[in-house]
Amino acid sequence: MTDVQDRTVAPGRDGPVEQRSLAATLFRFQSVFGLIAVFVAAIIFSPRKNGEILFVSADNLANVVRAVSEIGIIAVGMTFVILIGGIDLSVGAVLGLAAVGSAVLMVENDWGFLPSVVLVLAIGLVFGALQGAATAMIGIQSFIVTLAGLQIARGLARIWSGGQGVAIAYGDGPKEAPASFALLGERTFGGLVPIPVLIFAVVAIAAVVFLRVSAFSRHLYAVGGNEKAARLSGVPVVRVKIAVFAICGLLASLAGIVHAVQLNQGSPNDGIGYELDAIAAVVIGGTSLAGGRGSVAGTVAGALLLGVLNNILALNNIDSNIQLLIKGLVIVAAAALQRLRPAS
Amino acid sequence: MPDLVRMTAIGKRYGGVRACHEVDFVLGAGEVHALLGENGAGKSTLMKILSGDVTEYDGSIAINGVPVRFGGPTDAQAAGIAMIHQELDLVPGLSVADNIFLGRELRTAVRTVDRRRMEREARELLDRSGVSLDPRRPVGDLRVGEQQLVTIAKAISLDARVLIMDEPTSALTSSEVERLFDVIRELRQSGVGIVYISHRMEEISRVADRATVLRNGSIVTSFDPRELSTAEVVEAMVGRPVQTMFTTPDSATGDELLRVENLRLKARRPRPGRRDPDGISLTVRAGEIVGLAGLLGAGRTELLETLYGVAPGGTHTGRILLQGKPIRPRGPRQALAHGIGFVPEDRRTSGLVLFHSILANTVVSSLPAYGRLGVIARRRERAASVRMADRLRLKFGRLQDEVGTLSGGNQQKVVFGRMLLTEPKLLLLDEPTRGVDVGAKAEIYRLLGELAAQGLGVLLASSELPELVGVCDRVVVLRDGRDVASFSTAESGEGDLLAAAMGQIEVGGMP
Repeated sequence: MTDVQDRTVAPGRDGPVEQRSLAATLFRFQSVFGLIAVFVAAIIFSPRKNGEILFVSADNLANVVRAVSEIGIIAVGMTFVILIGGIDLSVGAVLGLAAVGSAVLMVENDWGFLPSVVLVLAIGLVFGALQGAATAMIGIQSFIVTLAGLQIARGLARIWSGGQGVAIAYGDGPKEAPASFALLGERTFGGLVPIPVLIFAVVAIAAVVFLRVSAFSRHLYAVGGNEKAARLSGVPVVRVKIAVFAICGLLASLAGIVHAVQLNQGSPNDGIGYELDAIAAVVIGGTSLAGGRGSVAGTVAGALLLGVLNNILALNNIDSNIQLLIKGLVIVAAAALQRLRPAS
Repeated sequence: MPDLVRMTAIGKRYGGVRACHEVDFVLGAGEVHALLGENGAGKSTLMKILSGDVTEYDGSIAINGVPVRFGGPTDAQAAGIAMIHQELDLVPGLSVADNIFLGRELRTAVRTVDRRRMEREARELLDRSGVSLDPRRPVGDLRVGEQQLVTIAKAISLDARVLIMDEPTSALTSSEVERLFDVIRELRQSGVGIVYISHRMEEISRVADRATVLRNGSIVTSFDPRELSTAEVVEAMVGRPVQTMFTTPDSATGDELLRVENLRLKARRPRPGRRDPDGISLTVRAGEIVGLAGLLGAGRTELLETLYGVAPGGTHTGRILLQGKPIRPRGPRQALAHGIGFVPEDRRTSGLVLFHSILANTVVSSLPAYGRLGVIARRRERAASVRMADRLRLKFGRLQDEVGTLSGGNQQKVVFGRMLLTEPKLLLLDEPTRGVDVGAKAEIYRLLGELAAQGLGVLLASSELPELVGVCDRVVVLRDGRDVASFSTAESGEGDLLAAAMGQIEVGGMP
């Protein structure tokens, strides 16, 4: 048959093909290039002290990643949700609930470190799974379900904390959290990497590997790409959706624990608006809000880009309102770049 | 006088696939020029270039002798070129009139939308096309054929000098086709040039002044359609002589595979236009290809959906037996686990993730086979995908290419391949050759023959009677959700099927 010849039309060695894939590569890693550009700009515009560039000092860089780690962890979960064509507006509130939970359990209930963390993570997981079930089984749009979830989680956090922030003191006595919890915030890994950053790195790498090798990830991308086709192909759509929202909830509560330990308190107002920063990181990272295409690596770059941007603006004492303005423009620019993605 | 349209040395590549190569195409005023070719031959690409949908290409276009280069469909429309797409581009929620005047609404003196005038003019346009439709009806409520007529009326209302029709009759009834031909003749009289893309040979010989055949992106021949026989044209399209399109039915069949007894589905929330099974009995043996005939709305799709477990919720009565064991598929996963595969009617909306790779689309139903503990063994899934591509003679560049870049016939093969990788015992096919060209059709028929020889049972729903008679061992005719007749194709012809489908004869249900 002639088909065999046709199929071997110099696969991959063709002019247009090479060009297309180069362009495709550029777009695929647009957030990485964006990150590099912002990083270089940060070095150029960094204030200097005694000839030292403040931005690249070890302390400052550690601060950047430390500040990014919470949003980063949430954004990884958000990437999963957006890849299936959904959205999770509840993550900031779940973070608050988890921070409150950690503080109350350890300080007021005198729970140990491990049981507290396990319970808090389980709450996030179940909360996410319930939201996933509501959207997958009842068929309510995830925007609505998680908008409700946001209110519910925030309400639960207020009730649990009595409406006030719960400060975390450390020690062995009553009304004191175990010292091991404090180590999470203070300890560094190898004397350099703060534990929250390490947690973010582990989460991100695990997610990248998971999306690359697992059969589940194929199902996930298929659901986001064309839900009807995925269902008819035998993809367990309901299970995939519940799992994805559960993962997102779990990661939001993990970020809540990190948040509590960094601020030594749990407040029902923690994490307000974090969902929007997480969505911004995902969008800058090149993941399509329509679902079915995108990557965690892009999201990590997007989160770092936002972190570097915040940091350099703060170092230069730029007015915080102007900071918001610049952040907004960066999001629009990232989205505009995606529109230029080579048509297929 | 210069030609209305002159396209010279047009070239276009998609990835590794050459869609058009050095194509010269001329259309005169008042000419109906048919464009023929298998799916993937380059017809659609050529016309997308002319209509401004594709803006990057080699070669040049002149309209009335003036060189043009369109930056988009709007430019082409301004130059008087209108295209009636195969995929209907209508807004379902808007009325017929609103759709016809979408983007150029008629206004009153105070700049509000002049609904009354739009409805009146829409009615005139529809009348001119010989269609009696209320212009106030929402387009979403119309049959596909009626929607097709609305797009045609819309294109005519643009007063285009060049009208491109991509398979305009694929969902029309024969009387609607006649009226369309009247409209085409009228347009031709007034000097409009028409490009007519179709797979239906008899239409082309009736309506076209000239026909051009494309194969693998190049022009093979151009001829007067009244002078060449269908066999000669098909040979030009496929590039080799075609003895028979259909495989000879193999009557040596095995044990009973599927038995449906008095199947009824009472939907919890009945949907308008759906005809759920209302007492259907039939059997499929291993190695047997059983056709499902019936008019539009007879319940063919609904039966297949019920068997695959994707019909809307409700109460079933009757029995479905697979290899003698009663089953009740509650969804695709269960059906696939039982060994029942399904190829849906509309591959673009229900079959494929168009922007995902050929590989991902091919293996998605059989992923557990390629890995362990939820981790995919990439080499194995690749090997399976390559094996299936070879078996189906898929035309493609690379496995990583997006499946949407393939031609319709090749996209359909990917959906087939996906199901075959699940190693089904029974395949449910819903219009598997719709929008598929002659060559790919022949390959699908060949494949069905092969599968049946290997002992697979096939239940094939189709509106094409020659296909049913040619491919199937036996055809069951449905009417109003019931089986009304069953024929052996060795003894009966298309006429018998049609008569039964239309209710002229009543033959008792299947044993």
